Amino acid sequence: MHTLISQFWQLTFSGAVQGFIYILISLGYTMVYGVLRMINFANSEIFMVGTFATIVVSRDILGHQPNSGDLHGFTLIYSMLFCLIASMLASGVTAVIVELVAYRRLRSRGTNRLAPLISAIGMSIVLSESVSLLTAGRATIAPEMLHKSSLFTILGANIRVDQLLVFIVAPIMFFGLQRFVNHTRLGKGIRAVSMNEETAKLMGVNLNRVISITFLIGGLMTGAAAFFFETVYEATKFNIGFNIGIAAFTAAVLGGIGNIRGAFVGGLTLGLLETYASAVLGSQWKAITVFIVLVLVLLVRPNGLFGEAIQQSRV
Amino acid sequence: MRTTNSLRNFNVRDKGAAIWSGWNRLQRTSFGIAMILLAGALPFAGNYSFSNFLNTPISNFADVLIYPVGMFVLMSLGLNIVVGKSGMLDLGYVAFFAIGAYTMAICGKWTHLNTWEILPLGIAFAMIAGVLLGIPTLRLRGDYLAIVTMGFGEIVRITALNTQKIGGPNGMANVPNPPSIHTPLGVLDFNIMTPNSFYWFVLVLILLTIWMIRRLSVRRPGRAWEAIRQDEDAAELMGVPTLKYKIWSFTLGAGVGGAAGVVYASKTLYISPDAFTFNISVLILSCVVFGGIGNIWGVVLGGVFLAYLPERIRFISNARQLVFGLTLVIIMNFRPDGILPRKKREKLSSPAIETGAK
Amino acid sequence: MSERILELTGLTKKFGGVTALNEVNLHVNKQEILALIGPNGAGKTTVFNMITGVYQPTSGEITFKGKSLVGKKRFTITQSGVARTFQNIRLWGDMTALENVITATDVHSKAGLVGALFGSIRSRKTEKAARAKAHEILEFIGIAEYEDRLAKNLPYGVQRRLEIARAMGTGADLLLLDEPAAGFNPAEKVELANTIKRIRDAGYTVLLIEHDMSLIMGISDRVVVLDFGVKIADDLPSVVQNDPKVIEAYLGAPADESGN
Ligand SMILES: Nc1ncnc2c1ncn2[C@@H]1O[C@H](COP(=O)(O)OP(=O)(O)OP(=O)(O)O)[C@@H](O)[C@H]1O
Ligand SMILES: [Mg+2]
Repeated sequence: MHTLISQFWQLTFSGAVQGFIYILISLGYTMVYGVLRMINFANSEIFMVGTFATIVVSRDILGHQPNSGDLHGFTLIYSMLFCLIASMLASGVTAVIVELVAYRRLRSRGTNRLAPLISAIGMSIVLSESVSLLTAGRATIAPEMLHKSSLFTILGANIRVDQLLVFIVAPIMFFGLQRFVNHTRLGKGIRAVSMNEETAKLMGVNLNRVISITFLIGGLMTGAAAFFFETVYEATKFNIGFNIGIAAFTAAVLGGIGNIRGAFVGGLTLGLLETYASAVLGSQWKAITVFIVLVLVLLVRPNGLFGEAIQQSRV
Repeated sequence: MRTTNSLRNFNVRDKGAAIWSGWNRLQRTSFGIAMILLAGALPFAGNYSFSNFLNTPISNFADVLIYPVGMFVLMSLGLNIVVGKSGMLDLGYVAFFAIGAYTMAICGKWTHLNTWEILPLGIAFAMIAGVLLGIPTLRLRGDYLAIVTMGFGEIVRITALNTQKIGGPNGMANVPNPPSIHTPLGVLDFNIMTPNSFYWFVLVLILLTIWMIRRLSVRRPGRAWEAIRQDEDAAELMGVPTLKYKIWSFTLGAGVGGAAGVVYASKTLYISPDAFTFNISVLILSCVVFGGIGNIWGVVLGGVFLAYLPERIRFISNARQLVFGLTLVIIMNFRPDGILPRKKREKLSSPAIETGAK
Repeated sequence: MSERILELTGLTKKFGGVTALNEVNLHVNKQEILALIGPNGAGKTTVFNMITGVYQPTSGEITFKGKSLVGKKRFTITQSGVARTFQNIRLWGDMTALENVITATDVHSKAGLVGALFGSIRSRKTEKAARAKAHEILEFIGIAEYEDRLAKNLPYGVQRRLEIARAMGTGADLLLLDEPAAGFNPAEKVELANTIKRIRDAGYTVLLIEHDMSLIMGISDRVVVLDFGVKIADDLPSVVQNDPKVIEAYLGAPADESGN
């Protein structure tokens, strides 16, 4: 309790950073849920792929080493941009593949609701286990690109440069996405399908294409989150997605799954809650905090804070 | 197209069922007894030249028959009550296994109870956990349940990991073996030298579970589950108290998992949180899905096959999880009802299909 | 004779901006066949959804046998004696016809899980009785020859009739039939009309949604007409048939009568 009070602003800042990462990942859940009414089970592994893509690019393509010291100036900027794009692409492509392999066939057959879920879980295991075999199940360390220096202090909170980067860029990406969904033709197609698949089809929306694109966008956002995660934490492992995935999903549910604006509030709330709870209880209970939040939300407010999205099934 | 169709239409279950329905009571009973005896004699198979191809290269064959084979079959049957019968996806099944195992370890070490007395306790605790988790979550749609149960599985493991009283990451050692049983045929000892008795113990639990499922399947609970699985809204509107039956199904499945946990702890003498990861839940789910969701014999087959194969063929044992993941994807896409699908037979006496009004 | 079994007062349902039902009052008398008609989207199915608890009314009251149904759980509503069929067939496809009906008869079974497990005498007795009752209902509806066929493999017409049988299986007094003759040819419609009459004569009360005027005129005791969620007529079939408001409602949507 003491830490919570004495370091309140520090915790709030780190919690918000964590929250912004969750927000981007939870878009991978929320957007797919919007169009498919199904959970994108493999999103946690889509995230994992992004973290590895970041490392592979910076270490093996750009040739940075974990101990080669931090970068400056132009090198720093292009290295980071390059990694960000690589991570987004890797996750985006993985998401599209997941949709093709795990959902598409079963969706068109559309009888058994369990089947696509199970095949998506299978897909996520295939992804994480393949990486586990490739890395011998060990953690992989990312080269430090951005030196984690403290920039300034507000209200006793140390503002680190890497965290500040997430703090600024992640919300920009989020609002960019929101604009895209609200104002472009493609975005409107996605919203049309989210509201009513049948009507959207009648309006001439190409369902398969919209679904693929939704997975792609969800994947791109998740990939961006993976890059930010690596910028802050600089390590990954084949099973990194597991707890983060549940947390991001919880964030999506908290905000009302299927609802993009909800993801923002949900992610931020969860990031803060989790950080405060860790300060009080110890970080080993973080996953439990998340779980309890999830169950409580489902119990008390199953449609989430903004949840108009989950519809009752029509009879 | 053609090949997938013939693949889908090929139905061992119907062939078997056709033979079975041609038999009279005596034939069925003797067949059943023969099968049980055969299953009971399995541990000896490794000793004879005609059957020693079954032997496993790394572990002792009889031990393999207990864990993973017997345990997986038992747990698959339990999970099948949840996934197969009432169509709910439980991804945290390992939690109940863990609760059973820790009940055994804690009570076995700190009380004077023995395994036989702890068994009902372990089952009860697992069932209570099932009810507590089920009440808030079973109202929700299937995919929510999947994630919540997945989280629950982790929570149980993390709690064990962080609770120093029960060993934390080191787990608990020196869990007692079950006491000997005196039977008319002799004394049945349970210790490290007698894997066979453990195997028979598991076999009895498996048979009891099969009996329970078969019994319930043809009666009201089975019908309610079936209705829920096929169309939950319709079930509710036709007067089925769906939540109650879902909780029952979840709880019974949990109880079977708890029983498996007790046996496991009492056999291996040492348990730690590492034995209860998400992987186990996935493994069990793969067994159910591979063999045939909802069909007892399919599930048994899936459990035996997926548990035994990695033990027999070393190459697979390294990439075990990967194989299971692939199994899930492939089976769901190409043979979603599994190798031995559930019953879809109709009696032959009914009128031929007419072309309906529309 | 005119004891009211079901009464809706001021029933309103809004879906977001759409007012599917607006202040609808209607009642159903015991042992009558009341037809509920109206153009597509008039709110007929929504009435059923309100009664059976699929949706909660935005406002208004639903009383069945003197007790309110609003806010009750769906399965308790069915247990209290209202059962329905579905416009888009919702049978349990992988169960046989007989099993479909038996599952519905379980509504009033007292057999519990433990009894089922240990084969208690009561459980065995209820099983037998349920089977017999289900069979009897299928005979009554005239589809007993199909009882061992999987519901999904049944001809369309039989599926529609099986829906009625399943609703009867719940032991309900009031049956809500949502377009039971949809897709039927004239001969089948006549047969179904007779079946519905026999159902009424057997003591049931029937609330029937139907588009086919001749079928309605032939069997219903009273007709209620909905248009855009508002009740525009409630009278004897012969009166309703000549009501200018009703004719206008239907002329406004001419596609209806020829439709399916
Ligand atoms: N779950 C729902 N969500 C939103 N709108 C709904 C919902 N259910 C019904 N509606 C709307 O309410 C109105 C009435 O629908 P309803 O299904 O009751 O019509 P109906 O009279 O049964 O028509 P039909 O003859 O086509 O079956 C329609 O405009 C429909 O779109
Ligand atoms: Mg309708």
